[in-house]
Amino acid sequence: MDSTQEQQQDFGVLLKQGAEGRVFVSTFVGRKCVIKERFSKKYRHPLLDSKLTLKRLNAEARCMTKARKLGVPTPVLYAVDPLLHTLTFEYVDGLSVKDILLGFGSNGINEEQLIDIATQIGNAVGKLHDGGLVHGDLTTSNMIIKNNTNQLVLIDFGLSFISTIPEDKAVDLYVLERALISMHSSCGDVMEKILTAYRKASKQWCATTNKLAQVRQRGRKRTMIG
Amino acid sequence: MKSFPVAGGRSVSLSLFSDVSNSRELLELMQSGKLEPEVAFLNASLVPDVFPVLAAAHKAVVSQGRESLTTRTLHSELVYNYSGSKHITESLKRCGISDDTSYILAARFDASNEEIKAVEKLICGTEIDLAELETRANQPQILKHYKITPQELSISTLPDAIVCRIAARDAL
Repeated sequence: MDSTQEQQQDFGVLLKQGAEGRVFVSTFVGRKCVIKERFSKKYRHPLLDSKLTLKRLNAEARCMTKARKLGVPTPVLYAVDPLLHTLTFEYVDGLSVKDILLGFGSNGINEEQLIDIATQIGNAVGKLHDGGLVHGDLTTSNMIIKNNTNQLVLIDFGLSFISTIPEDKAVDLYVLERALISMHSSCGDVMEKILTAYRKASKQWCATTNKLAQVRQRGRKRTMIG
Repeated sequence: MKSFPVAGGRSVSLSLFSDVSNSRELLELMQSGKLEPEVAFLNASLVPDVFPVLAAAHKAVVSQGRESLTTRTLHSELVYNYSGSKHITESLKRCGISDDTSYILAARFDASNEEIKAVEKLICGTEIDLAELETRANQPQILKHYKITPQELSISTLPDAIVCRIAARDAL
């Protein structure tokens, strides 16, 4: 127990804790950084546990850098540590889209900013999907608007995977739509604005939006009968 | 020579030289392991900023601490890490120096004052400020080596794109 507590201090100040990992703020060779640690699950067999953790760690690093290659802003990856199961990224200074939209709900909507954000989201997701990358967890809390540039940065590629199937992309959009409806219904139809930008950014929008209509009818999970 | 803290109390000192005339000698000394003190030489035209070098140094120090260096020494590991590739020979060839390299970035871990002087004596060239890295970098060569597309460059700086490749190499 002592040793784990020491390790925690090494990583810096705890920012958030989730089911799969913890996020710390620290410094990396002179720059402010964020360290994301995937901790081991004690209820799993140790061998399986380390294999799963490592596989997901590497997948996240791969997907984040792939997104950058596709021209979608994500935090710069500084280091991957396969032994401590940590990823070190650039610290992105700014508010999450969730906080901004919630602010609109209580203080009134800044229509211009809302359109800008929705367009950037549609653009970013369109580029990801055309490059065959599915984010897997598109919620407004996984999007940050950078303070000085107002640029949208996508974070948390922990559930991302490579796929070119319209079904996967449609589910990705559907998850975003549900998140928007449940959290930000006071902002009006943000999804429509996002989809407008998505159609412009993605060459394969037609297949995806058709599929999206089907997914809306049945929900995220495919029905498995027979 | 300028010193930068890396990790766990260790540091790396960097200095930049132009118009180097004895790179052939340096290369021979290094390859025979007689270089005293041991130094890493990087082909500086591939280095647009110190930050990617520090990221590579950080990685080298961490693997040395775990006794899992891929190459023979800490200093060659720095060059290998900086390349962002898994091919050791090719990395050392491209990111290290060759017979006719005249623009060199020298790096030494935990250098003492005497060692810094010794390094400066080893290299026959003019020492210039590290701030020159950005303007002297060979951008087309960097883009080709790291396979950086215009799309990526539209949302990222050149040094950041290199850091991502250095960090993600072993995850690929």
